[in-house]
Amino acid sequence: MTETMTNDPKRSEIEDLLPWYATGRLSAGDKARVEQALKGDAELRRRLDLAREEMDETISGNERLPAPSPRALDKLLAGMDAEPRSEPVLAAARRGFVGWLATTLAALAPRKLAYAAVAALALIAVQGAVLTGLVVTGGDGKFDTASAPAVVPGTYVMLSFAPDAKASEITGFFRRYEAAVIDGPRANGFYKVRVGEKTLPKSELDRLLERIKAERNLIGFVAPAN
Amino acid sequence: MQTLFSRHQMRVFRFVLRMVRDESVAEDMISEVFLDLWRQADRFEARSSVSTWLLAIARNKALSALRKRREASLEEGVAEAIEDDADDPAVILQKQDKGAAMRACIDRLSVEHREVIDLVYYHETSVEEVAQIVGIPENTVKTRLFHARKKLSELLQAAGIDRGWP
Repeated sequence: MTETMTNDPKRSEIEDLLPWYATGRLSAGDKARVEQALKGDAELRRRLDLAREEMDETISGNERLPAPSPRALDKLLAGMDAEPRSEPVLAAARRGFVGWLATTLAALAPRKLAYAAVAALALIAVQGAVLTGLVVTGGDGKFDTASAPAVVPGTYVMLSFAPDAKASEITGFFRRYEAAVIDGPRANGFYKVRVGEKTLPKSELDRLLERIKAERNLIGFVAPAN
Repeated sequence: MQTLFSRHQMRVFRFVLRMVRDESVAEDMISEVFLDLWRQADRFEARSSVSTWLLAIARNKALSALRKRREASLEEGVAEAIEDDADDPAVILQKQDKGAAMRACIDRLSVEHREVIDLVYYHETSVEEVAQIVGIPENTVKTRLFHARKKLSELLQAAGIDRGWP
């Protein structure tokens, strides 16, 4: 089977697309091609599982990385404060940036969530307004550089639900763990979830993860996140 | 700008941190990336998303920092030296943690291979977006990811995990 796949250019082409199928970032046409090929091909389905395994651990590895400290934002705002600004640039920024943001940030929204795109656009308008406001309204030429915490304290996990999990079961999960969605669902079906207001010690976090993992009918993947 | 920063800082920071492996340097770098975004606000066109633009700029800054570091170092590749200090995947596997072994193997990939793995799996970028960020043709994106995954399988096999692929 492996040999057959290697020698068949069309099959190799489909196999190359599997990582993007796993992350939900294929065009509708490519997605349909992959799904058609997966139907009658156990080896291809196994290889999709390999790609999903890689995706899970890449997400897990990244989510274990620390968050930037407030110093990064302070430095940015101080840098903005120190920049010489001229009226033509400000006017152009006001004219062009909000429109640009409104158009381009829409691409950030997961394709699966059409309604999320609407929410993103609302956020875009706010972001554009905030940015333009900062640029244009700073009458005294100064910006606030107060530090803001990069991350709200708490215990976070990345997780995905089983494909056949029911809405009522998912609701029950959030109630049982007093959890809240911080981010997601992403195109790959992952959520970032806050499962506690305090940062749990590692031993307690491990126990919590084991409890969540044990819900095999409901949870597809879970790993600690920062 | 704070809202925009809050929304994207974590991912851009992690992308850079995986390349330069120094938190302080990565923090300085994301400040510069967002400052560039602010400076060039009037020149943007709707050809790419904000996140794609941020990642592309961040990547260029990270690669430039790596080049300078390499030139400044008498050792061969600082990043590689740091990788050697990481836990050995085979040792991790002996502790019965396959996920951790895979993460260790991903950490041991070259910057070029780890970058494409991160962009696709963590940053959820499409083929077109990776091509824009890395500055290579779309077919090369697919080929590079294939080779990165192949290398990952080889590292896993050396650590005692045979995935039966490629």
